[in-house]
Amino acid sequence: MKIAAIISREYKQIVKKKSFIIATILTPALMAAFIFVPMLLTKVGREEKVINVTDYSGVIHKEFIERSEKSKYLKEKLKLTFRYVEDNSSDQRALLKEYEAEEKKTDGFEFKLAPKFKKMILEKKIDGMLIIPASIVEKRQIYYCAQNISDFETNKYINTVVHRVLSSKILRDNIDDPEIVGIVQNATADIKPNLFVVKEEGTTKSSSTTAYMMSIFMLTILFSVLMGYGQLIMRGVIEEKNNRIVEVLISSTNTQSLFYGKIIGIGLAGLTQVGIWMLMGWILMGKFSLGIDRSVLNFLTPQLGIYFVLFFIIGYFMYAILFSIVGASVNTDQEAQQYAAPITYLLIIPFMIGIMVTQNPNTPLVIATSLFPLFTPTLMFMRISVAPPAFSQILLSIILSMGFTVFLAWLGAKIFRVGILMYGKKPSMKEIIKWIRYR
Amino acid sequence: MDNFMLKLNNLVKDFDGKKAVDNFSLNLEKGKILGLLGPNGAGKTTTIRMIMNIIAPDSGEIEILGEKFNEKLKDKIGYLPEERGLYRKMKVSETLRFFGKLKGMNNADIFERSESLLKKFDLYDYKDKKIEELSKGMAQKLQIITTILHSPDLLILDEPFSGLDPVNIELVKDLILEMNRNGITIIFSTHLMEYAEKIVDSVVMINGGKKVLDGALKDIKGDYGKKFIKVNYEGDPSFVESLKYVLNVKDYGKEMEIELEDIGKRDILIKDLVSKISINSFVVTEPSLNNIFIRKVKEEGR
Repeated sequence: MKIAAIISREYKQIVKKKSFIIATILTPALMAAFIFVPMLLTKVGREEKVINVTDYSGVIHKEFIERSEKSKYLKEKLKLTFRYVEDNSSDQRALLKEYEAEEKKTDGFEFKLAPKFKKMILEKKIDGMLIIPASIVEKRQIYYCAQNISDFETNKYINTVVHRVLSSKILRDNIDDPEIVGIVQNATADIKPNLFVVKEEGTTKSSSTTAYMMSIFMLTILFSVLMGYGQLIMRGVIEEKNNRIVEVLISSTNTQSLFYGKIIGIGLAGLTQVGIWMLMGWILMGKFSLGIDRSVLNFLTPQLGIYFVLFFIIGYFMYAILFSIVGASVNTDQEAQQYAAPITYLLIIPFMIGIMVTQNPNTPLVIATSLFPLFTPTLMFMRISVAPPAFSQILLSIILSMGFTVFLAWLGAKIFRVGILMYGKKPSMKEIIKWIRYR
Repeated sequence: MDNFMLKLNNLVKDFDGKKAVDNFSLNLEKGKILGLLGPNGAGKTTTIRMIMNIIAPDSGEIEILGEKFNEKLKDKIGYLPEERGLYRKMKVSETLRFFGKLKGMNNADIFERSESLLKKFDLYDYKDKKIEELSKGMAQKLQIITTILHSPDLLILDEPFSGLDPVNIELVKDLILEMNRNGITIIFSTHLMEYAEKIVDSVVMINGGKKVLDGALKDIKGDYGKKFIKVNYEGDPSFVESLKYVLNVKDYGKEMEIELEDIGKRDILIKDLVSKISINSFVVTEPSLNNIFIRKVKEEGR
């Protein structure tokens, strides 16, 4: 089988490339970094922080000190220490009054922090200064001054503590019956939302952002693999055309073997790469699970993996054929880039529609575009990953896109035959028709 | 079945209204070497591409071994295109294996043939090198090896000598002769007629897409008879052209070829020459293909 020789050559030529080996190893590493680093940063990568608390109301600070001594969560996870600073003698109280008086006029833009506190923060003796005014009960305001105020977890923690202490104080001050206090506290307590995604395999914890991020992420992989391998084929065809190897190839075997052998060979290389990625991902996530968010694990089901491979194969053939037609019809790389641009747009459009998919996965526009063969591999995959449509729709999209691919392959082989042996000038319509008849 | 390897019948190929090949016919017997000669742009490569089924003729027929071009024939033909190229990133040994497989050979045959051909062409030490590491001449030799690897019955070489140094030209010439001795029919095109002369059985000359001459080399040369004189000289020979018994002069600077209207005039020529220039050698010879071609083209033009 001569086609086997072509498949094997194309496959080896890609797999032996340094760039292939590097991309195969590096991509999962980047993928892991993409998923893990933000998580690690928020959880593991925290610095120890010391926050001074001064409390002119005298009601809040005790809770902070107590928690600093007892709470493991505070010490080990958040790595926060609160220290109470008795500050009746300092001028901060006066400055605070001044600030509160001027606040409305100046929009509260500049806070009046006592110089000694400012100095402590700038010299990094402490990380922050929490000031609780005497007016806390009436005005419900606290002041937190630090160099870094974007530490979301710290801010949230301070808020929660103050809120709890304050509400129980207000309740106790105004209501004598502890039972009622309990009821009201219950009634106003925070609600923790638990979000679950409904799938055939089960209903599992997830978050909407995970699903969105992951599907965009997988779409990006699909896009870059389809683009990357498409371009590889295109450049390979131009190379063979320019150095006339194609004349020897055509005179040794038929065009179909050359055309399909090339696409299959490079496709197998792509499948190898994707396969290695999936295997590495599976080992990393399944075996060690590495403290990844459970919602990510729940998102990456085996079923989704199968769909990924299926749509990769269909999409690959479709775009590989388009790219190889371009490669066969042009003479230089520059010319090729120009003609390949519309194909790139075809791959980018699904990203735009993708946003719609996450919000309203069942609008007629989304359904129609995901059934359009050229968009199916990316858009239908995205729909499946975000909110699986009816199986009949999935099946229809697969049938349509496969049928389209077969048609494209038939047409592609014909155009390829004419294009690849035309040097210099573009083949005329007459020439093309002559060739299709001649065979 | 008759004894013909290749028959071309009234081939016509038109490029944008310009006739690249015009009513070209050819019969080639098995076991012969045919030189397809002509200047650049004469239609040699277009003819070869049509034989190889790379481009379709506008009209006319091509038969190889009595058959129209088909897949089975491909394994019996070795083809060296005019412009050379191999996969730059592939190793020499991988290249040979790939092209061997494409010609339907099995691994053992490929190995055996590659080893002996690489040794013969002095490329054995390079077999694990990538093509991009080879010199241009070495890559050329390798490409010739890929062409003959499968021991074809018909070998079609488009300008096989171009880009080779004299040593390798000799090597390729010897190889063509050796292949031919083993019964392989060979067509090669060249515009370098002095190389062709030494190896071909028969010659087809083509100019402007039209055949101007076709025949066995000895017949062609015989037709012109021994009317040619080769003179190695010192001095200014411009007067020779105006001698009335001289038909043609080709002056190379130190040597000239003179065509006489009759070989009997050679004694007068010697006298005329020695009176004006000094002569190192004076040889009566057959016409070179070059001379014949130039004469033919002139005749056609008339």
